[in-house]
Amino acid sequence: MLEFRTAGFNPYAVKYSPFFDSRLAVSSGANFGLVGNGRLSILNLTNQGIICEKSFDTQDCLFDTCWSEAHENQLLTAGGDGSVKLFDIGLSQFPIASWQEHGREVFSVAWNLAHKRTFLSSSWDGSVKIWDPEANNQGSVLTLPIHSCVYSAQYSPHSSDVVTAVSRDSHLRVFDLRTPASASNHLTLAVPIHAPPKVPQQGFVPTSVGPTECLTHDWNKYRSTIVATAGVDGIIRTFDLRSPGAGPIAMMQGHEYAIRKLSWSPHLSDVLLSASYDMTCRVWTDGSTMGAGVSPKLGGGSGGPREMGRMDRHTEFAMGVDWCLFGAEGWCATCAWDERVLVWDVREFMRG
Amino acid sequence: MMTLSPGFTLGSRGISNAPISSNTHDHRLTSAFIHDFSPSFEHLHLPSIATSSPWQTRQARTPLVRPSLHHRPKPPPHTTPRRSSANTTPAQSRIQQLTSHLTSSESDIPSGLESVTSKSPSDIVVTCALRTPLTKGGRGGFKDTAAADLLHGAFRSLLERSKIDPALVNDIAVGTVLAPGGGATEFRAAALAAGFPDSTAVKSLNRQCSSGLQACVDIANAIKTGMIEIGIGAGVESMSSQYGPGAVTEFSELLESHPAAKECKVPMGVLSEKMAKDRKIGRKEQDEFAARSYGKAVEAQKKGLFDEEIAPLTVKWTDPKTEEEKTITVSKDDGVREGMTAESLGKIRPAFSKDSSGTIHAGNASQISDGAAAVLLMRRDTAERLGQPILGKYVTASVVGVPPLLMGIGPWKAIPVALEKAGITKDDVDVFEINEAFASQCVWCIKELGLDEAKINPKGGAIAFGHPLGCTGARQVSTLLYELRRTGKKVGVSSMCVGTGMGMAAVWVAE
Repeated sequence: MLEFRTAGFNPYAVKYSPFFDSRLAVSSGANFGLVGNGRLSILNLTNQGIICEKSFDTQDCLFDTCWSEAHENQLLTAGGDGSVKLFDIGLSQFPIASWQEHGREVFSVAWNLAHKRTFLSSSWDGSVKIWDPEANNQGSVLTLPIHSCVYSAQYSPHSSDVVTAVSRDSHLRVFDLRTPASASNHLTLAVPIHAPPKVPQQGFVPTSVGPTECLTHDWNKYRSTIVATAGVDGIIRTFDLRSPGAGPIAMMQGHEYAIRKLSWSPHLSDVLLSASYDMTCRVWTDGSTMGAGVSPKLGGGSGGPREMGRMDRHTEFAMGVDWCLFGAEGWCATCAWDERVLVWDVREFMRG
Repeated sequence: MMTLSPGFTLGSRGISNAPISSNTHDHRLTSAFIHDFSPSFEHLHLPSIATSSPWQTRQARTPLVRPSLHHRPKPPPHTTPRRSSANTTPAQSRIQQLTSHLTSSESDIPSGLESVTSKSPSDIVVTCALRTPLTKGGRGGFKDTAAADLLHGAFRSLLERSKIDPALVNDIAVGTVLAPGGGATEFRAAALAAGFPDSTAVKSLNRQCSSGLQACVDIANAIKTGMIEIGIGAGVESMSSQYGPGAVTEFSELLESHPAAKECKVPMGVLSEKMAKDRKIGRKEQDEFAARSYGKAVEAQKKGLFDEEIAPLTVKWTDPKTEEEKTITVSKDDGVREGMTAESLGKIRPAFSKDSSGTIHAGNASQISDGAAAVLLMRRDTAERLGQPILGKYVTASVVGVPPLLMGIGPWKAIPVALEKAGITKDDVDVFEINEAFASQCVWCIKELGLDEAKINPKGGAIAFGHPLGCTGARQVSTLLYELRRTGKKVGVSSMCVGTGMGMAAVWVAE
């Protein structure tokens, strides 16, 4: 396990570069992001451990970051002051672009994974904005209204025009930007996350009923209609967007407090990693049979949704997780309010 | 108090101890932070009556922002972060948000003004609220109308105005105090006669003067838990026909022999007189308050401010002089009298005290009245699906007990509890509807809670237009919501004291 201290700053998000297996970005804020400066750190994994290659300081906490899919040296940040900034590692101190449109804290930024030209941001002001600097460098090209604090928004990895968002109002919304911008503002689906499943999951006794804030979600990288969500009730749910009325198809319970971040494995179609306010990061299988036999060690296979392992070395709220896209199928990075970024192999924490 | 898992360090250290951009600060501050700043993790421990104010614990906790928080770096000139609430700093709202992440379900998300006024599909909303006029007991427009007929009238108007399909209404709760048998039989009949199908259930309930509010709260809770989807909270009282000594069964020997139990029987006028004396609320103060209530009601009536909430009702009425039966349409509260001043009220003889030391009289106590009110409630997503217009939302309610002989202090104890549940302070509230059972108790509660009198009963209260016991709680909802909407304000509280020593309060938000 490798460790890096983000002294003086409490990390909110960690992201692996999609271009280099040794490069990480960490966004953070002083004083737990409540008040004070923010910092974006670019970390390098070296033989001497993790080294900070570059850092950029901002006026307000950076709640999220994401790498450009088009340019290996560029990345976006989500600012507490409502700004979305684009940084280039080749330059120092200042961003190469900064857009100030959101009325409140920006909580997530995501780059379009399919056509790599646009990106999006989501904010406490209740909106998701789509940006396309090549078409319009002055501002966003589209605003999707949600009317509730949007904690996380994502592009589908399978389609460049499908955007999902989860928000405080306990709903997973799906927008299809190909639909006409009618009164529905491209909204094609709004799935109530707290709704019980049509077919009860065996052995699952929910600890909470009713709506809870949804804090994070992620698209499965292999099954193009599967999305996982998690939030304040500490339950991870997966939904199949082909049958939104069916409710969650798998529910995974175990975290004692809210789940802050969720990420599907880029290697295995059934494996998830989560970070929670209970200070643990846990590995899960959603029990889908498609994962069976892919990896005898990591793949969960059939046997129902369950926790496969947990890493409890963080000593404060765990805020961010990300998988390494390269090499062996278990390396990941996590960050927490203990001012630490940990890079570790999930396989070391699997239960016997 | 929430239990923190191992590894959390509890302490009194707050943000002021954490130097901005220091390399050395203790990373185990998190929980101390949340603990210090969280509005939700501390409960209001009500102090014993008359020793201290229920606001005290809140005041002790109010300074959420400490000086160091203001050392926020100035944003560059082109950035202008906007905040939804002017009196919440960014740090405060971020702390509130974090705190909400640490609670286990929506029901205990600490709210604050922002979340009280925010909209969620699961909100319980009011899509129609109305009342009949309130008329003088024994003499007014409804003196010959049965309680069930008044209720029938309110139901008809509600169906007409809301255009809701009556078959969609699952349950109706009706608050009433005096009706024999609780009125259960005739209210069910009234619902059927008003056009509700037999699939719509009806119940009656009695929590004395708060029955109408209790009915609304019961329906809201039933919707919240999923027991029903759409319901009506209502209240009705015909004091003309049912007020009198017959309303209370004779006390048994057992009750008579128990000192506290026996006190439940003391007439409210008598105990209010005693309370006014004990708490030193003078005659002049009461008369001034009563005169203001009359003044506000007269003005509101002249400006037509009650027109939106009142549904006129056509009834049979016997002229007391000619004994001739007429059909009349009542569209105005007939108890509102012009020209009432503290001086003119000062001349009325006290009603509950033989000597001249008495302070309570017919002019500074609530009027005996007839009337009905109804409130249509459902979830926000239901309302949106049905295209029902949303007047406002129900946030939360409280019910408390106080000594029977001090029943008038009920609002003093109930209001802080409701505000605490909603996570807001008295300053966040724009309008209070506090029932004026007696000027003495109302004045005492307002003074003791330190409320701004300009926010209390802006259209007058029960002293000016009456207090049909079971109706009042439901009546306040329409009075409150229409007033908030008219003035472009948001947050309202309705509250009342309850005979035998209780208090209720509820928080509403107009939209």
